[in-house]
Amino acid sequence: MRLTALLAMAARVKVPPDYRYGTSRPWTVGAQRMNPPGKKRRKVFVEPIQPEDWSLFKGDTVEVLAGKDSGKQGKISQVIRARNWVILEGLNTHYRYIGKSGEYRGTYIASESPLLVREVALVDPSDRKPTQVEWRFTEEGERVRVSLRSGRILPKPVVQRRDGIVPEQWKDGPKDTSPDDALEKTYSASLKTFEEEIAGATGVVETRAGRRTFWY
Amino acid sequence: NNMGTSLAQQCRALHTSQWRRGLEAFFDETPNWGEPTVKSGAPWTAKQLRTKSSEDLHKLWYVLLKEKNMLLTVEQEAKRQRVQMPSPERLTKFIIKGSLFQIERSMKRLDTIVQERENALRLLQTGQERGRPGTWRKDFFGRTFWYRFKEYPIPWYLNRRYKRKRFFTLKYVDSFIRRRIESHLHNTILKKKADLENKRKLQEKFSKLSATT
Repeated sequence: MRLTALLAMAARVKVPPDYRYGTSRPWTVGAQRMNPPGKKRRKVFVEPIQPEDWSLFKGDTVEVLAGKDSGKQGKISQVIRARNWVILEGLNTHYRYIGKSGEYRGTYIASESPLLVREVALVDPSDRKPTQVEWRFTEEGERVRVSLRSGRILPKPVVQRRDGIVPEQWKDGPKDTSPDDALEKTYSASLKTFEEEIAGATGVVETRAGRRTFWY
Repeated sequence: NNMGTSLAQQCRALHTSQWRRGLEAFFDETPNWGEPTVKSGAPWTAKQLRTKSSEDLHKLWYVLLKEKNMLLTVEQEAKRQRVQMPSPERLTKFIIKGSLFQIERSMKRLDTIVQERENALRLLQTGQERGRPGTWRKDFFGRTFWYRFKEYPIPWYLNRRYKRKRFFTLKYVDSFIRRRIESHLHNTILKKKADLENKRKLQEKFSKLSATT
């Protein structure tokens, strides 16, 4: 990772309650330039959606219902909950120059702009048409998204971890604890404090009585 | 391979015997020297730690401590050599949620679990909610706060520094207290009004939306 990006992310960024979230995440350099600590911007009203009702995840295929690319289907590449935004890969783009310096005008790239959740709809995999989705429970008790038109379950998309690790293919290193050892239960409830248990296990017998102290 | 030319390596060429006993724990394993990334597993979760006995937790604490010392040594050496530390996420986790060390995170969780067990035992045996005694007191400015007791070898009437502390309020502070209360009430009302206004605006904007769709 680049050192500058590392340093930018290292300090936990505290955002004020009236922070205006943009397409750059708050710890990036661009966002810190746009929203320096003292800046106050006009409040933007975001439709309150309960966390349990949120049904769009990164990697889902959705169809755009409004805007320039309406009718097209795309994959979600980023979700920004604070503004109810989803950013789709390659859709709803505008063009700009990036990496401008001196006389060089920079590279001309297409950058996606975010869409509100109300402007997109999840695509039913059975007929590949946009549907409304509800959260329901299966027979096993699992909470799943169900398409209201066809009743088909929409599974949560499998996204690769940011560090590129695939849990199924993981091989333990010399310092890693094996799954069996990590999950093994050795705790037995007792009326001894932590210190007393350690003293008992290591055979430490404390015969000294502490001097009299005062608490105030 | 900058690590390989460190002072320890140079000394090793001179002394043909083993490293000084114990100091090798401060350094990573030899195959990992000079690697740009070192893979490491996930930190311990609180759920996994809760199933462990006190002896296991005690031993794990020291294992984690030694690993932390090793990583800090690596970090310091990287700073000295002016290169990037290999796999800094072992020490620092770059996720939105927090920037605690991956190792330190495990240690903090361990500490939390030991505290939980102590709290439970104390509540059961004595009914005391807090491990450390304390009381509500008023400071010189009329503010009420939770004063946590400290342990001293001498009683309070012999402690000159303690006697200089003033846990009382004089009469001339009354008007300031009154003003503080007024300001607090005013702020509460302002916050309530702002909340209502916010709710009204949201209603106006988004129920209109749902009415049209």
